Amino acid sequence: MKVTNLLKNQLFDPSRNVSAGELLHFKIFELFVVIYVLAYSWSWGLYTQRLNEEVVLSLGMANYIDVSIFFDYNLALVIAALISLLVLAAFFRIGNRWFYLVVMILFHLQYVIRYSQGEIPHSQNLIGLAVMILAVGSIFFPAGKFFPRFVFGGVIFFIGLGYTSAFFSKLIATGFHWFYGEHLWLWISEKSVDILSRDGSYQTNFLQELALQHGSVASTILLVGWLIELIGFTMWFKKLRPYTTALLIGMHFGITLTMNIRFDAFVMQLILVGFPWYRLIHIDSKRFYDQLLKITLFRKPAISGLAENQNQ
Amino acid sequence: MKYENEAFRGLKLIGWLFLLSTVLVASHKGEFWPFSIYPMFSQAGNSWSRALLIEIEPDDTTNIWDEKPLGSIDQRNVVPVKRLGVDQIDYSNFISKTERWTPGRINALKTLFPEQQLQGKTVMATKATGKLVREDSVAVILTPMFRISADTIRVNPLITIDPPD
Repeated sequence: MKVTNLLKNQLFDPSRNVSAGELLHFKIFELFVVIYVLAYSWSWGLYTQRLNEEVVLSLGMANYIDVSIFFDYNLALVIAALISLLVLAAFFRIGNRWFYLVVMILFHLQYVIRYSQGEIPHSQNLIGLAVMILAVGSIFFPAGKFFPRFVFGGVIFFIGLGYTSAFFSKLIATGFHWFYGEHLWLWISEKSVDILSRDGSYQTNFLQELALQHGSVASTILLVGWLIELIGFTMWFKKLRPYTTALLIGMHFGITLTMNIRFDAFVMQLILVGFPWYRLIHIDSKRFYDQLLKITLFRKPAISGLAENQNQ
Repeated sequence: MKYENEAFRGLKLIGWLFLLSTVLVASHKGEFWPFSIYPMFSQAGNSWSRALLIEIEPDDTTNIWDEKPLGSIDQRNVVPVKRLGVDQIDYSNFISKTERWTPGRINALKTLFPEQQLQGKTVMATKATGKLVREDSVAVILTPMFRISADTIRVNPLITIDPPD
């Protein structure tokens, strides 16, 4: 019970009022998620329509349905259009509170259609997770001011879990010697060929040169990154969260510099959920608070009189 | 406390989602989007395979199927697949993970690089393989696979063409 109490208090901070600042922070986060859902849905749909020929790899739902039927007749674009309509309706709180759930299912479908070609990218996972938490939150907390708190807490839980899980994946698949520098050399060469293939040219940067020349530097880079992944779960604790988030963002920059892999959506999402931005937003207008609440909740609140000591 | 009951309910929901994610990733090799155990880069030290598209002279027929080190080619001859609208990871997976080259598979490769995109160029779809040598350096070897021109696709004689599925 102590653990559940601790987790509940750290993830959801139930003693704190929902301020106007938190509602605005939430709505900005939701807008960020919606923009990425639109961008991914259309880019995946257009790519599928143009280039997908046959299923090479079945992911998720594609294990149970033949997704090659969506490669033709503009069906991937139809899915993108459906996702767009529903996600925009959900964002503007028009229609049903189940819309985010339908978006989640269609978004998953669009992902497995697009990535049936062999690649398993992870850079879109956090956006997918955010949609899932929005879907669950909108169904179970449609009229409560707790909805934004649930979404932030849920997203933070799965982000922390994901990083720590990545640490153990490496430990189990390779062992304690995972961080040995020569492993980084292999990845640097692999990613350099990827960039050469994509852009037609490639040059190593200063950090890569340093890692390639000194095995100890390469080992240190891997070890530091690996240990940061291990402590990913400390994001669950509100006092540690900003520090863990800063370290994770630093780790992503390190990966970008050493392996040329960019994590734009990951890093932006970390910035949005990992720091207590609501503390910087002070809005005293009750009218503005009521307006924010109106565009945040899926139903009118059960108790009338929305004003609560907003900025406590 | 303001949101005590909601927070308990929220934690229960997160618990159920966690359980769901565990079941899904455990039964789907670690991946059920958006859930994942994030296994990328988990297997360290393994050799790797990617792919390049390299422009060659149309009338060049001498030793075109010979393997060579990456350092021996002129980078200016590498055709950037992004400019052709192709995702390089998809292309790499296509080349490096295909175990059985059937006529359908070879035709799908031609679809990736249609005539109008190649603009008269003759290109070689090339597999790049990297591995650790002597434990202190990485060697990258290029293996020419398919010579693609406007109207034909020629296959490396060492590749066996399998009958259609």
